Amino acid sequence: MREITATILENTPIAEGIFALTFATEEAIPVQAGQFAMIGLRGFPLRRPLAICKAEGERITVCYRLNGEGTRSLANEFRAREKLPVLLPLGNGFSLKDSQRRVAVVGGGVGIFPLIAAIRQYAADREIYAYMGFRDRESVCMEYEMGRGKRLLLATDDGSCGYHGTAVQAFMGEIDKVRPDVVLSCGPTPMLRALKVALTGKKIPAYVSLEERMGCGIGACLVCVCKKTDGQRARVCKDGPVFEINEVEL
Amino acid sequence: MADLSVALCGVTLKNPVIPASGTFGFGREFNELYDISCLGAVATKGLTLAPRAGNPVPRIAEGRGVILNAVGLQNPGAEYFIEHDLAWLRSKTRVIANVAGSTLRDYGEICALLDGKTDFIELNISCPNVRCGGMAFGIRPESVKEVTKIARENLQKTPLIVKLSPNVENIAKNAAAAEEGGADCISLINTFTGLAVDIRRRRPILANNTGGVSGAGIRPIAVRMVYEASRAVSVPVIGMGGITCAEDAIEFLMAGATAVQVGTQNFTDALACPKIIEGLNEWCDFYGIGRIASLTGTLQLNG
Repeated sequence: MREITATILENTPIAEGIFALTFATEEAIPVQAGQFAMIGLRGFPLRRPLAICKAEGERITVCYRLNGEGTRSLANEFRAREKLPVLLPLGNGFSLKDSQRRVAVVGGGVGIFPLIAAIRQYAADREIYAYMGFRDRESVCMEYEMGRGKRLLLATDDGSCGYHGTAVQAFMGEIDKVRPDVVLSCGPTPMLRALKVALTGKKIPAYVSLEERMGCGIGACLVCVCKKTDGQRARVCKDGPVFEINEVEL
Repeated sequence: MADLSVALCGVTLKNPVIPASGTFGFGREFNELYDISCLGAVATKGLTLAPRAGNPVPRIAEGRGVILNAVGLQNPGAEYFIEHDLAWLRSKTRVIANVAGSTLRDYGEICALLDGKTDFIELNISCPNVRCGGMAFGIRPESVKEVTKIARENLQKTPLIVKLSPNVENIAKNAAAAEEGGADCISLINTFTGLAVDIRRRRPILANNTGGVSGAGIRPIAVRMVYEASRAVSVPVIGMGGITCAEDAIEFLMAGATAVQVGTQNFTDALACPKIIEGLNEWCDFYGIGRIASLTGTLQLNG
């Protein structure tokens, strides 16, 4: 992890209410899929934790949804060539065992972005089956990146594109055919909960990336804790954000 | 190169910059980013006798120039800290153990447990985020004096800092009460109790409803309180509240502080503390200040 002054290369909308921010770092920073960055915004005391979507040498892309004043400011007031303080790479990402060859990826909302990093990292030597959920056709983005694996099935709430239903439903419809060795997931908590229920008794290891409001982003302040099923607390930023699905309460 | 060292209760700090309790853990995470031996001291995460799980999430919210937090004193317990982190942290820099309790007896016991083991004890009688979490002791001067006395009676070797709450009627009276109770030093201010609303849901953002307000937006209030408190006591004062840079720290020194703590800015910029230390050195050199300690209490009010 290091603190850098990044230079913005691009900061543009890629779907309804979703922006992609690409910045240059002075040197290449090795990033594991699922890790995140804390982005500093002028005038805001808290940094914004954003999952790294693409890391290509000295170019890093994070994506964000317009959600409040901070993300609106990021979208409207930060242009190419401006400098941005960034702390990265943070947290533990998705790491697969060599034996896990068939990988199912189940994402929803902004949860698709760390999963795109996983697809990019693992598509070359594993079979990736991606199930990605969106509200409607207009909110679908980065289709090319999501489709780098062996299969991509989009799911929309209104049926305007792909499977009519949730990403979890789309995945469960194919799970017996796909027989994944491992499942990677990120998305709204109700989605993760549904996945956990759906996988109960299936003996397929699954890893979820969690989201929480953060303070320091490095594990010192104990702001972003989650409850583990053993009753302990874990820091989403430092012990996560990726956890084994049965390790955490959802 | 100015002399940045300051003396606090007979203990020399290499500089007056201390990360504030609760923003810095026990120092290990920040030490992955920079060598924390550059710091004057570290104020630990608030410690209690028994481990505490803290509050539900969300524990943090943001306003303009401020944040609100309600972590609720999550910590692994003082004994765990002594066993796992203390020796390492002391090998780096001076250690201020921040301690809290629910009862007078808790305060006495935790002080006795840590006595002689750290460079300072900082009594947290001002945490606004837990029921019986100390702030009850920090509001009235009578109870400030009472809890300070209990802590004092249980400390033979370690200097006692009492951290004051700003949620009070008269900060000078509470500062004086801490001194009367036996405090060797006072630190202020802890956070203001605040409420941030998620207007879409018509609910507080924080699971705890209220939280402690900190950050640059509270700085002028904090400087005023440090000024008033330092005038009311003869013991040294550690000032804090919204420090973001060296110039902010100097305001506190001039208002009467011997050292300063930096909290929220560690989140805004993880390298805040070393940057402030460097900035203090540059400022002193630029203005021909040989010893930073000479700035303390030099503020002169307008006639």
